[in-house]
Amino acid sequence: MSSKDPADALAAVAALRRLADQLEDAAVEQAMRSGWSWPQVAEALGITRQAVYKKHAKRLIAAGVALRRRG
Amino acid sequence: MSRFDTYLQSVVVRAEVEAKEDSSATIDAHHLLLAVAAQDGTDAQRVLHAAGLGYEALKDALHREFAHSLAAAGVSLDDFELPRASQDPERRLRPGASFKLAMERMATAHRKKDLHSGHLLLAILQAEVGTLPRALALAGVDRAGLIERVRSAL
Repeated sequence: MSSKDPADALAAVAALRRLADQLEDAAVEQAMRSGWSWPQVAEALGITRQAVYKKHAKRLIAAGVALRRRG
Repeated sequence: MSRFDTYLQSVVVRAEVEAKEDSSATIDAHHLLLAVAAQDGTDAQRVLHAAGLGYEALKDALHREFAHSLAAAGVSLDDFELPRASQDPERRLRPGASFKLAMERMATAHRKKDLHSGHLLLAILQAEVGTLPRALALAGVDRAGLIERVRSAL
């Protein structure tokens, strides 16, 4: 952290969260399009299968991504 | 429904689109401001435009704030090649904290029947800290001066 200004540090936290959300959406979509399964994606992210499914399934189905159910 | 209600509804609908493009889980004040700038023929849009803050200029300013804030943590946006992520058109996002604060400021400062687009813009611009004031400062915008111009246009 190069900056000593707390405003910069707090803004960096907000921006990193935003970047992580964008990266997650893109990375999960990329993995599912390449044939990864939900359990694999969940394990790679370190979250439960239910959580990853709940967060991403609808948008990927709406986008016409062919989803594999089983690992 | 009053004219202002109709206006506010279209602002929120547009702000939700902006938030989704951001992969954001919430609709935030900066999404509201982009939506205000995108509503043609309104006083709020005219004041923003006169200050050099059209929709594209705001989008640009917000992107610079994002890159600048990441840089403070040693992260360069240039290092990422993010493929565009698909969005769920049916998903409804909830208002974020900065959205709620702007609505509270607007509701406490004015009577509902007096509300116009400028009041919403004023409430959004009055945030002292956060993504939005930082983006405006980085873009060289005199926020206090802009607030005064919005006030005098009410």
